[in-house]
Amino acid sequence: MIPTVAPTRADQTERTTAAAANARSAGKAAIAKFSRHRLLTSPGAVTGIVWLAALVIASLTAPLWLPFKTEDQDFTAVLSGPTAAHWLGTDELGRDILSRIFAAAAGTLGTSLLTVIVGVALGTVLAMLSAGAGERTEGAISRGTEIMMSLPGTVIILAVIGAVGTNIPVVMAILGILMSAGIYRVILGQAKSLQSQLYVDAAKVDGSSPLGISVRHVLPGLANTIVVQAALIFAVGMLIQAGLAFIGFGPPIPQPSWGGMIQGASQHVYDAPWMMVPTGAVLALTVLSANAIGNALGKAPNASAPHLPSAAARRQRAKAVAAIASAAPSDRSAKAHEAKGTLSVRNLSVGVDSAGPGKGVPLVTDVSFDVQPGTVLGLVGESGCGKTMTALSLLGLLPSGVSVTGGQILWNGKNLAATTDKDMEAVRGREIALISQEPMRALDPMFTVGYQLNATLRRLRGMGRAEARNEARNLLEKVGIVDAERILKTYPHQISGGMAQRVAIALALSGRPRLLVADEPTTALDVTVQAEILSLLRALVKDTGMSVVMVTHDLGVVADICDQVAVMYAGQVVENGRTEKILDNPRHPYTLALLAADPHANHAHAMPERLASISGQVPQPKDWPSGCRFAARCQFAGSACTDPVPLLPSGTGEGLVRCVKADQLAVEGMDWLATDVPASQVLGIAPKQATIIGKDLA
Amino acid sequence: MEVTMALFITKRLLMALATVLVVAVLAFLLVHAMPGSPGAVSLGAGASQDAIDQLNQQLGWNDPLFAQFFHWLGEAVQGNLGASLIDGRSISADLADRLPVTASLAAGATVLSAVLGIALGVTAAVRGGLLDQVIGGFVGLLVALPAFWVGVLFVYLFAVQSSVFPATGYVPFEVSPQDWALSLALPVITLAVGGAAFIARQTRASMLEALQQEHIRTLRATATPTWKILYVHALRYASLPIVAGIALQFIGLFGGSVIAEQLFAMPGLGQAVQTSVSTHDAPAVQGVVVIATVVVVAVNLVLELATKFLDPKLRAS
Repeated sequence: MIPTVAPTRADQTERTTAAAANARSAGKAAIAKFSRHRLLTSPGAVTGIVWLAALVIASLTAPLWLPFKTEDQDFTAVLSGPTAAHWLGTDELGRDILSRIFAAAAGTLGTSLLTVIVGVALGTVLAMLSAGAGERTEGAISRGTEIMMSLPGTVIILAVIGAVGTNIPVVMAILGILMSAGIYRVILGQAKSLQSQLYVDAAKVDGSSPLGISVRHVLPGLANTIVVQAALIFAVGMLIQAGLAFIGFGPPIPQPSWGGMIQGASQHVYDAPWMMVPTGAVLALTVLSANAIGNALGKAPNASAPHLPSAAARRQRAKAVAAIASAAPSDRSAKAHEAKGTLSVRNLSVGVDSAGPGKGVPLVTDVSFDVQPGTVLGLVGESGCGKTMTALSLLGLLPSGVSVTGGQILWNGKNLAATTDKDMEAVRGREIALISQEPMRALDPMFTVGYQLNATLRRLRGMGRAEARNEARNLLEKVGIVDAERILKTYPHQISGGMAQRVAIALALSGRPRLLVADEPTTALDVTVQAEILSLLRALVKDTGMSVVMVTHDLGVVADICDQVAVMYAGQVVENGRTEKILDNPRHPYTLALLAADPHANHAHAMPERLASISGQVPQPKDWPSGCRFAARCQFAGSACTDPVPLLPSGTGEGLVRCVKADQLAVEGMDWLATDVPASQVLGIAPKQATIIGKDLA
Repeated sequence: MEVTMALFITKRLLMALATVLVVAVLAFLLVHAMPGSPGAVSLGAGASQDAIDQLNQQLGWNDPLFAQFFHWLGEAVQGNLGASLIDGRSISADLADRLPVTASLAAGATVLSAVLGIALGVTAAVRGGLLDQVIGGFVGLLVALPAFWVGVLFVYLFAVQSSVFPATGYVPFEVSPQDWALSLALPVITLAVGGAAFIARQTRASMLEALQQEHIRTLRATATPTWKILYVHALRYASLPIVAGIALQFIGLFGGSVIAEQLFAMPGLGQAVQTSVSTHDAPAVQGVVVIATVVVVAVNLVLELATKFLDPKLRAS
């Protein structure tokens, strides 16, 4: 009878991040505004608020308008259905059900509120105490709440009733104590995350008292969760209270209570089944209202997209693919003669689906590049430039809610952008494989390395059990793992990041792909391990003749391994060409800036005293201007940059560049300067101040 | 590996023992706070004060509290929970008769809600779209419906309108397995409605979280068939929180059986609590609280060990 309100893991992490974000944007007012907004956008929650408000008002004003007193007995209409006199019918003593429902409402809601206040206050205080007062306190409190949560709460409450009698307020307050354990568990994670925020550390350094920190910095961040829990506990409290009344532990007899009324109705289910409808409906509606409010507030604002979209989302995706297919009929005649293993991306656009939030926003526009067999192409740029989206589209693995909106991805002459998910299964793994940024998260934590490799080999290469086991060991040895036999038996969490990346590469190689898409394969690894993984990839390209699309923001990686480079900025390719040409003779200001900002890439010059930086940030896709997207951050931007810029031959080999001033810059031989002028413009601080800061640093 | 697991099990066992002890003390104190002395309760309203005092003396009511507690504890660990104040029957024997009823109810309801809840939750997460919303709304409604109201509705539908199931009463398994199952049907379904809704929510959230994990993309990139990603890999990942949710649900359902037992006139533990609380039968209340706690804690312990066994991180570390 006491449903234990425990958070799901997903909820918890989402709430935590949401709360952290809330607290950062700070201020109770902001949070309240945010909550109000979310409440008002949910029709269920609005209905819930209206219903609860109406119920409270109706109940408190009941003596003024109710047609009958709760004890009035109308013997002419016993067990009657709805009539003109008794809108919701009467019970076995001829008492008006409507009057009794509303007369009971205030008491039910009020005492349930008592459970909420006791439970939420106790749970919150304990959680804040645990989060703030160190591990020992937390251990003790957590142990105590664990005990409380594993108790048969209903039985305990009944024993309490035995001791204190049917004193509903006391019983409901004790129920609050029992329920505080669940609330504590929900709030604790979030309180701990807030307690470890930098601004809390800053407050500690400032000498704020632990109590002050808890109240001023942690509590506001918990506000939303607290309200959510309060709403849910309110609902549970009402259900339990009604349940107690139902089994005979409600308010003393003549006094109406919802549970008692349903109990009475259950006695007449044979002769007057109507009687249970009105009270049940009112109780259910009230519980629904509280739940709707809680759920609307607790809804995570932006949960991350699943990597395997739901069936509904897949149908949506199939429609988009069909649209692409019909928009760009594959001209096989022109492309069929392409050599096997050639990738040719033509005017690729990727965007957010028009149905979801942020509808129709483009993420990648008009991207073209070619990858010849046995070569490595680097996709370079800052975060948020569309590199990963471009890379994932090659395998048809864009996150749900994002899809290819135009252009072609020609692989051996076949347009992958217009290929159904089903048909992509023949391409994935067997022809194009993927390795990703975080090897630990790329492997399934619940299965051994051996299981994952064997299953993949049997699927992709049609191998038998024994053959697959042999090949798995061979593959691991091929990617430089010495004790392959042992690694096969381990779970991913038992091996190091570098080892996991080797396993992930082995997994990617198991289908003998012709193209490997590597999404920042070394970013999450230590520097020495990075070099090992890069040389492994280089050796694999040499041995197998496969080609690689390497997403990276590290120009050192580009110099190390890439034959071709495509520099991406804000969803566009701004410059591409042969690696050595671009590194030695960059034509686009963004490439110039990236090189100037890289301490290792400046081969031509000695290490500069001050490294250049690129002021500002990559603009959000919705803020992309129609002209040059880099203009706002460019040291060389002029009036010509507000017009759309085409991708034109850069004059260095077959390279292309998207800058109207490229030729002029090449002639004048300008450098990207380590100056603070644009920084001051963007950050809005006075140049004088900025110079002082600069001097201090120098 | 063995050492960690053994340490873990030992710690959990000690926790379980501590829980039962805490409850035993709590129950003892609550019972002592009950209005009326055991003598008064036992002898009824018409008894003389002398007779009441004499019986109280005999029952040890006037001994120091801790002496009474340890006396009770000493007897309890030997399986003797004392005699009822109302009719003098052995509380241990009475509860031993009642336990199978409540255990069948709670176990049946837990299994049914797990099966229904996982099916609904997985479907909602996997199908998405309109079906997800429909299931979400349905589950939201089920959470809000009070179990006792649903129970009355079932009685009306299946026992009054069409007499598919008996409306009330319990037939022991030994008497007739078929009638036993029939007599359990309505109470089990009644209890399972809310439980299924709870587990459906937990399952949906856990499945969605599993599908957000990056290794799902690796599986897709190696052409793993969709059914295998969903029902082998994602469900396996989601199994930990789902089993934890089922364990929590069992606690709730074990307590929730009070209502089902009252509604369907089942002679279980819940009914025993209800009557003994109403009649101020102190030793009976104390006994049933402790027994209920022991059962819940034991089942919880087993399910928790199962959860830990499902987690390679704990199993293999």
